[in-house]
Amino acid sequence: MAFRAERYGTRADTVVFVACLLLSLTALALPEGLRAPIAGGLRGTVLYPFLTLEHRAVESAESHERLTDLRAERDSLALASTFLPDLTAENERLRQLLGLGSRLGYGFLTAEVLHQAGISDGLTLVLSAGSAEGVQPLAPVVTADGLVGMVRTVDAHTSVALAWTHPDFRASAMVEGRRIYGIVAARRGEAAGELMELHGVPYRDLLGGGVRVVTSGLGGVFPRGIPLGTVQGMLSESAGWERTYVLRPAVHPAEASHVMILAPLRAGDTLTAVFRAPLARDSVTAPALPARPPSRP
Amino acid sequence: MLGLVVAHFVLRPRLGDPRFAPDFVLIALLFLAIRTRPGVGAGAGFLVGLLTDAVAPTAFGAAALATTVVGYLAGWLKAVFFADNLLVNALFVFVAAWVRDAIAVLAGNQLAGGALAWQLLAWSPLAGLATSAAALVVLLFFRGWLRAGPA
Repeated sequence: MAFRAERYGTRADTVVFVACLLLSLTALALPEGLRAPIAGGLRGTVLYPFLTLEHRAVESAESHERLTDLRAERDSLALASTFLPDLTAENERLRQLLGLGSRLGYGFLTAEVLHQAGISDGLTLVLSAGSAEGVQPLAPVVTADGLVGMVRTVDAHTSVALAWTHPDFRASAMVEGRRIYGIVAARRGEAAGELMELHGVPYRDLLGGGVRVVTSGLGGVFPRGIPLGTVQGMLSESAGWERTYVLRPAVHPAEASHVMILAPLRAGDTLTAVFRAPLARDSVTAPALPARPPSRP
Repeated sequence: MLGLVVAHFVLRPRLGDPRFAPDFVLIALLFLAIRTRPGVGAGAGFLVGLLTDAVAPTAFGAAALATTVVGYLAGWLKAVFFADNLLVNALFVFVAAWVRDAIAVLAGNQLAGGALAWQLLAWSPLAGLATSAAALVVLLFFRGWLRAGPA
């Protein structure tokens, strides 16, 4: 920091300063009728390019703000659209379930699958309905596509279902439309949880690919006609005795979000037509599903 | 200097509330006054103030009076007190901005009472802070401007 003690301003500087002061005071004293034309003249000449610059800067700033808003809206829409396939799929499943409910007519209740984060998810399913809603052990759990599993334990308002992927699951099965029976279980090994096995098919009955396998109704647990899967190919054969086939499941438990729990009284029914019927989209608008607590026969 | 004037019209609208936005034209005027004679500072201040008045003509002449005084004082103070310290120069800009506002407000006689107090004790100091901060940034890049020109 330096200090200078000498006088710097000259008489000319003082004269200019005083002149400017007087001009300023004169401008202040000008009547309104004279101020406006002078100001307007300055704005229209000297200031015009600068005001134009400022105008464009303001427009640019506003455009930037609008762009930011638009980007935010676009991002929100993009985020919302990421859920669209899931919502569409869920909507489709619910429509199918509604269609199934209207065809079943009675003896069922609906439940949500409360998926758990863990390795057991897909083997056992926690359902949002329990004994208070009328769920009983061994009740079949189905979706519009086919069998998911069966109820194993029942609490007051929840229940645990054993999915067909569980190693302990077995279901008496038959080839749809033919008197060929067997036992369906989950496939073990690398494809565990992905495929089913149809055991005990008599050696004389050769099944081709694509043949539909449904529950047989034997054993008194599952009604007849609930789809289990379709034949993909032969897995093994015991010489001259029986064949084992690989099935592609009708339903994968991990993908089920809403299910129907059939009442035990439907165990003796034949539901082949119920599951075979195509989904009538127009009919799903009807309030076919009973509200929880479900309508019990 | 021209860059500061352009910045005043291009950059200032993007810097938020115009009441607190830095006054780049005032910075340019102060730097000009520091580098030249007080008379030049006064004349430049008068012209800058007149143009400012043209944009806001409700108190036509008030800004001209204020910037004339500030321009002259900046050139005169340079002879008495010249600092090479950035913070001192920022303080100088802050005081100049506040004095300019005070003179313009009082000469314009547009405010009174609480509004005048708010303007002089709140808005003007805040605007002065913004202007001095902008001057500090400018000086960081163009420090040579601080050095006074030949007498």
